[in-house]
Amino acid sequence: MTSPISGRQPQAVRSALRILEEVASAGVGVTAKEISTALRIPPATTYRLLNLLVAEEYLVRLPDLGGFALGRRSANLAPAPLTAPTAARAVMHRLRERVRWGAHLVAFDRHRLRFLDADPDHPPTDADELSRHLHASGLGRLLLAEDGDLPDAPLTRLTPQTVVDRDELRHALDAVRRDDLARQCGEFHAALGCLAVAIRAPGDRRLVAGLALTGPADRVAAPNTELIALLRDHATDLAPLLA
Amino acid sequence: MLRRHFAAGWVGSTVTVVTRIPGLRSRSPVAGLRRRTLSPLGVFAQSVATTAPAGAMASTPLLVIAVAGRAAPVSFAVAAVVVGLVAVCIAVFARRMAAAGGLYSFTAQGLGPGGAYACAVSMVVGYGMLVAAAFFGVSWYGSALLARVWAAADAPVVAAGLVVVLAAVVAVCAVRGIRLAGRVMLVIESVSIALILGVLVALAVTAGPAPPAPVTGGAGGAVGGPVGVVLGVLPALAAFIGFDSAAALGVEARRPFASVPRAIGATAAVTAVLYLVATLLLLAAPGATAGATSPSSAGDGSLTWAALLMDLGIVASFGACALAALTTLVRVLFSLARDGVAPAVLGRTHRRHLTPSVAIAVAVPVLVVVAVAGGLAGAAPAAVFSGLLAVATLAFLVTYVLVCLAAPRFLSRIGELTRGVVVAAVVAAGALLATLVVVVLNAGVGLLVTLGALVLVGLAGWLVLRRRRAAALRTMGVYDETTTADVLPAA
Repeated sequence: MTSPISGRQPQAVRSALRILEEVASAGVGVTAKEISTALRIPPATTYRLLNLLVAEEYLVRLPDLGGFALGRRSANLAPAPLTAPTAARAVMHRLRERVRWGAHLVAFDRHRLRFLDADPDHPPTDADELSRHLHASGLGRLLLAEDGDLPDAPLTRLTPQTVVDRDELRHALDAVRRDDLARQCGEFHAALGCLAVAIRAPGDRRLVAGLALTGPADRVAAPNTELIALLRDHATDLAPLLA
Repeated sequence: MLRRHFAAGWVGSTVTVVTRIPGLRSRSPVAGLRRRTLSPLGVFAQSVATTAPAGAMASTPLLVIAVAGRAAPVSFAVAAVVVGLVAVCIAVFARRMAAAGGLYSFTAQGLGPGGAYACAVSMVVGYGMLVAAAFFGVSWYGSALLARVWAAADAPVVAAGLVVVLAAVVAVCAVRGIRLAGRVMLVIESVSIALILGVLVALAVTAGPAPPAPVTGGAGGAVGGPVGVVLGVLPALAAFIGFDSAAALGVEARRPFASVPRAIGATAAVTAVLYLVATLLLLAAPGATAGATSPSSAGDGSLTWAALLMDLGIVASFGACALAALTTLVRVLFSLARDGVAPAVLGRTHRRHLTPSVAIAVAVPVLVVVAVAGGLAGAAPAAVFSGLLAVATLAFLVTYVLVCLAAPRFLSRIGELTRGVVVAAVVAAGALLATLVVVVLNAGVGLLVTLGALVLVGLAGWLVLRRRRAAALRTMGVYDETTTADVLPAA
């Protein structure tokens, strides 16, 4: 068994990073032999480091098992700025004209939320702050309900209303899956609440983004039937533009 | 730029990416299982439980000592080295691909359809017989144990009842999912290992220093010497079978390329240490354990605490083994169904629990019938049990030979061959083949007939499949391929 690389093996770390860079620059399908030749790293070392990077999901093997490509985890190394396509922003504009609350469009990237189009008149909470406390926000709960897994870290109590009991949160997530709607009243900020619906890829129903309305907590708690219908209509319009 | 990022981006338009990377699918061919969620501990539990070290610790060292005498630890060490080399060959694949079919999916990458088919048949036979043997072991030890406590119990009825109850519990656990099953197996296995180690230590201590005479070469039927060591390797190898079963959890394991090879290597190492310790303890207290378990002293009516604890440990270990081996068996069947080689219905998964429920529903009744029929056939339970295990062991050895032969060919195909793997594969395959030859040469008529029948059935199946499903055979060995969703699109 290979032992994990310790901080005292700078050469191995350096080689691993060079391999990552080589896969990125050589493009999809580069083979282990090509990498070894290009970087002049001994083949056995290259194979071991490649397997390590694949195991950690920074790289993936292509279906022929011989070629490599960058894995999704590599995206965390250099997050690209994101903006919604013009057509999607037009849909958001239409929505904002019809509601008084803040309307936000976020994308889901693994366990992170990234704003595609935040309401300029109602600046939302910082995306990283939301990503750290997925259990307390409507958009975060959409993501958790999709994964079916609770975060490993303890659930932070942000306001007196925040659900921090794991069983209670599981019930809340079951409700999100059942109603296809996440509602949160005063759990992130005591005075605010939010309604969030999922935007799914038209083909495979994958969760790609979330659409949320934020408003006063007591008003969010009301049935809001018409508002939710409006939200769903716009989510349907956005789906083909984002996926 | 933004537009393109979206088209090919993590929001994932498959069309764009597929044109960039030929051969990349948008959906894994083994979709339907709960993908990438099982913890490393659960993966490890699967391999350990299939190997059933508690049950093997209580029985195998005695078999090895019977032929190798005082040199029994050497036999175990040799077997451990061979198993270690097989683990190296399995890791070659497990670091590079995640499959539900385990070793047969691996073999397909190196030996093509013929090797994959042979490997799949031996896996189905091996894991199937292992489940049947575990069912039978529980009913045998369990009914003997019950008969001691409660003399009025009707042995055959109790034995059959135990099989049915155990099978039902195991089937429910298997359907409920690998996360629950893994936890159950881990708890059971650690308790039973602790029980049996405790009893062995206590017996060794109370028996005092060992008189050397009864176990030296020649006396008591032990062959001893180098020949004895070689003959002792076979039962020692048999104690390790199933250590590879974590390979079938590739699809379900979180970070499978790290956790699966690690689980297989760790299982080989941990069980090797346990067997060596058990052998040394038994050598230190010869005779002390001869009547310690219920079946071996059935009838004398004595009930010692040691026997009771040993029996409980062994029964629990067999129960966990049945669950673990079934978990692997149904994933092999699932994978064969997705290949198009087995009936497609076996590839269906439970809608909520995401486990191969149809394969479980088909396999469990068949194996219950095998175990119950073995008990009702009138043969001595020990003979039925060792017969089932002998078939399972041979099938496993064939599987391991094939995967060892496949490893270097696979690496040379993808251009990542290293000298170490070639040496490991050649030595391991050579040792396993030699063992197989010795076993077949010394096999009784019953075992030879069974093996001959299995080979014939396998060959007939191959011929039928070649005529009816040639295309499916050619592409055998599906695995959890990288899909468009896993790849970071080139910006």
